[in-house]
Amino acid sequence: MKKKLISLMLGTTMVVSALTGCGGGGDAAGGSAPAETPAPAENGGETADATENAGSDVSEPVTLTVLAGQSTTDAGIEDMIDEALAAQYPNITLEWECVDWGNDFQPKMQQYMQSGLPDIMIGKAQDVATYAPQGILGEIDAMYLDRGLDAARENVTIDGKTYGLVYNALYQGVYYNKTMFAENGWEIPRTQEDLQAIIDDCKAKGITPFASHMVDTWSIGNVTMQFMMNDVFNHDPAWGDKFRAGEVSFSDDQAAQTAYQYNQLIFDNTYPETFSTEQTDCDAKMVLGEAAMKVSGSWSIQNFLDIDESFDFGIFPFPNQTGDSKLIFEPNITIMTSADSEHQDAINCVLDVLTGNQELAVEIYDYTKTASMLKDVSPTFTNPSQADIDKYAADGMIVDVTLGNNQLVWGGFQEENAKDIAAWLQGDASFEDALKASDGRVGTSSAN
Amino acid sequence: MAWNKKKQAEDVPYQRYTRTTLLVQVIMSVLAVLFIAPLLMIINYSFKTKKELYLTSPLSLPSSFQLDNYKKAFDKLDLATTFTNTFLYTAVSVLILALLCGTTAWAIARCRARFFKFCYIYFIVGILIPYQALFLPIYIIGYRLNLTNTRYGIIFMYVATGISFGVFLMNSFMSTVPIELEEAARIDGCSVFRTYFTVVMPLLKPAMATLIIMQAFQIWNDYLLASLYVSKKDLKTLTVAIQSLFSAQTSDYTTAMAAIVISVLPIAILFMSLQKYFIKGMTVGAVKG
Amino acid sequence: MKKHNTMEKNMEKQYLLLVLPGLIIFTIGLIIPLLLAFRYSFTSWDGMSAEKPFVGLKNYLDLLQDADFRSAWWFTLKFTIGNTIIQNVLALLFAVALDSGIKAQKVYRTAFFVPCLISALIVGFVWLKMFSNVLPAVNDLLGTNFNFLLFGDGKTVLSGLLIANNWQWVGYWMLIYLAGLQSIPGDLYEAAKVDGAGAWTRFKNVTIPMLAPAITICVVGITTGSLKVYDLLVSSTKGGPGRASTSVIYQTYTTAINGRQYGYGSAMSVSLVIVLLLVALIQVKGLKSKEVQQ
Repeated sequence: MKKKLISLMLGTTMVVSALTGCGGGGDAAGGSAPAETPAPAENGGETADATENAGSDVSEPVTLTVLAGQSTTDAGIEDMIDEALAAQYPNITLEWECVDWGNDFQPKMQQYMQSGLPDIMIGKAQDVATYAPQGILGEIDAMYLDRGLDAARENVTIDGKTYGLVYNALYQGVYYNKTMFAENGWEIPRTQEDLQAIIDDCKAKGITPFASHMVDTWSIGNVTMQFMMNDVFNHDPAWGDKFRAGEVSFSDDQAAQTAYQYNQLIFDNTYPETFSTEQTDCDAKMVLGEAAMKVSGSWSIQNFLDIDESFDFGIFPFPNQTGDSKLIFEPNITIMTSADSEHQDAINCVLDVLTGNQELAVEIYDYTKTASMLKDVSPTFTNPSQADIDKYAADGMIVDVTLGNNQLVWGGFQEENAKDIAAWLQGDASFEDALKASDGRVGTSSAN
Repeated sequence: MAWNKKKQAEDVPYQRYTRTTLLVQVIMSVLAVLFIAPLLMIINYSFKTKKELYLTSPLSLPSSFQLDNYKKAFDKLDLATTFTNTFLYTAVSVLILALLCGTTAWAIARCRARFFKFCYIYFIVGILIPYQALFLPIYIIGYRLNLTNTRYGIIFMYVATGISFGVFLMNSFMSTVPIELEEAARIDGCSVFRTYFTVVMPLLKPAMATLIIMQAFQIWNDYLLASLYVSKKDLKTLTVAIQSLFSAQTSDYTTAMAAIVISVLPIAILFMSLQKYFIKGMTVGAVKG
Repeated sequence: MKKHNTMEKNMEKQYLLLVLPGLIIFTIGLIIPLLLAFRYSFTSWDGMSAEKPFVGLKNYLDLLQDADFRSAWWFTLKFTIGNTIIQNVLALLFAVALDSGIKAQKVYRTAFFVPCLISALIVGFVWLKMFSNVLPAVNDLLGTNFNFLLFGDGKTVLSGLLIANNWQWVGYWMLIYLAGLQSIPGDLYEAAKVDGAGAWTRFKNVTIPMLAPAITICVVGITTGSLKVYDLLVSSTKGGPGRASTSVIYQTYTTAINGRQYGYGSAMSVSLVIVLLLVALIQVKGLKSKEVQQ
């Protein structure tokens, strides 16, 4: 109830400020709004009235610029959005600039911060923490936020103001070949010992335990954060802040080192050419039954199902030392708006289409094979791993990785550490070197 | 051993077809096949379906001849626009470069004042400036001067980044331009400008041809400057369009491969048909320096 | 005397007018950004926020301690030296071979030249596929066991990149050498032959000197191009595995942009420019003096 009230308040101020013509930032009365408590992803809550229209009156033709930082799974959704928008608001045209999120989103943002931001930016949830403190992002109207799940809001809200609209979500963990697990009588491993038993059995039977594609440094960085979440952040949710305060370090912290060491476990139990194997080839090997497991995220589902629509797979969290790993949840596509845009009304129309048009939403979720972050919208594609996800959700065994990503940023920190880890796995640097290098990067571990 | 090969080749500079020539021919044929192999791979992939890409050997041929990838790539690249843009930027930039580098290099070569010596060094520095590392200042300047998202802005940048090498190239060619002709012209009362345009420039044509050819490749293939200065759809270049297709389609690069074929084909055909002039241009310009 | 002087002055002015447009464009487009970078190199600017705190020489001092930057330099040097030697030698060999009277010269020219019509970004991607998918499949087909996974190991990644880069550019430089060879008058060879010079002597004493200007252009072009290698890496190795193929520019770019340390990154680019400058001045001086001798 309290949450509702706050969003109502925010909503009102937003509408008022929109009416008086001051875009976004301004003097929204937020103030002392308490941080909202994390809620697991669940399709509950009351139905938002999807038919109401907010800033709908765009009578003049408007062209909005959109910078879209995309992952491989997202490319193509721009056409779907264009189509839906054309049907609903024919006066609004979007001028897309689609770039690769990992390589080009940050440079483009830096570039536009020198000149003027595009009206709409599409990135990831962690971008809000990077750019909102610069005072350049506009607040998102509560009306649209309310159409999304509450869990979506937490990590894109800074000082009570929400700057991002989280549109979909990914799950990360260990994808496993269900058929293979059944045939060999393997249970879902909860502890490292369980996992080791499976690995041993795999080896005995000539199966590669893990599929991996370490040629992509991002993949090393990604799995390392998964390990960090369950072995470090689950026990110490402020580890990153303590790291910056000098209280903990990679060189001293046993748990963090364990998280790094899991990379070695993967490396020792994957195919030898992992540093020459790209994601697509890796996913193909997984589907073809050459490997039993893959530490990955929902972005692999698209590949799995493209290759073999009947491939049966599940997901479990990578076991940690204490045997209480949680499945990792990542708010993914996140829509941000410019605080200085002249076309706030038109932007709101786009947000309206995105949040209100359920057909479009389902189309996008089905295409990207991701989970919905809108209330009462569920993708219709068959996701073999959904049963597992539901089970962990029901048990409350899900954790939002944005917690870790906000404290230890991707660009300049996680990404760089991953390179050291790769060098260590390749034998070009020692484990201690890799730890020391991570410690030395403390200055760039936070976005601000 | 490498030297040996050459020696044998050298034995018969422009002569009969001997056994050594045959040997060279065989060796070069093998090399040519190796050089073409990656191109064949691109073409082969561009006809495969996504499933074939994953499930069949990279060496196997596509099971059926299908043009879906090409259709998709054609749509995505917005070829009519991007191709025209790239062509326009390249053509205008190289023409300006040819003109500017000619005058600049000539003035530097002919005028003995200190300032001009300094200018030469100043321009040469430009060859060494890694503009990739300066992208933010370059953008800031461009934005302040309203050069971003304009056609003349991107052309301006191509000229700015290409002028160094151009001056260097032209300058090394200047020594072959007989100074007597210029002096004669001057005695006839020609101004410096007239001398340049009536006497010198015709002599520089071959060097200009070389410059144009060399710069055209750089600009045609440029990605960084284009992506920095141009974000509007109707101003985009081919490389930028391909790149966005690429980063987006890493899981389905059959389409990207088709895009490569589409983008390379016209310029490859252009090269093949104009090969004679290419070589000629190179010959006189780059060689008599 | 005085009249002569004014005439000289007048001419100088006209020459100046000829130089000026290029000078202005060049200064605005490249030198001012360089100066801006120079200014940023004394700040701890993150590339985003409005304030750019002045930190003095700190960035430069940090640079001296930066092991990653050092290893980036080391890689770049190896890549540049390897490229300059291999590419020049190969291009010259190819040109000589094509000029030796073999049939269908045009076909070979085209085959070697076409790769340079493809942008470096795509070349990187193509070779990534070649090394990791296509060539291993060739192994399977022939039953051989060559190690083609060159990008997958820090020890072989350099040779992999050299192959990719040479594949792209050999044809281009070859064309310049070929042009040079074809412009050498045949009677020079005849004269040398009459003097009793063997093939090698003729090559050394006629071909090489006559090619000197082409050599200068190729060496300078290849060296400076290789020192600035970036595009090729972006789509192939991304500087990896680990940091094994991280070039100076790649390191600069990731530090300044992804790492949000624009000031520090600017110090990197400034130091790169200084080093490049020294190298090039030495090179141009050396090559020029050789040309003059001959």
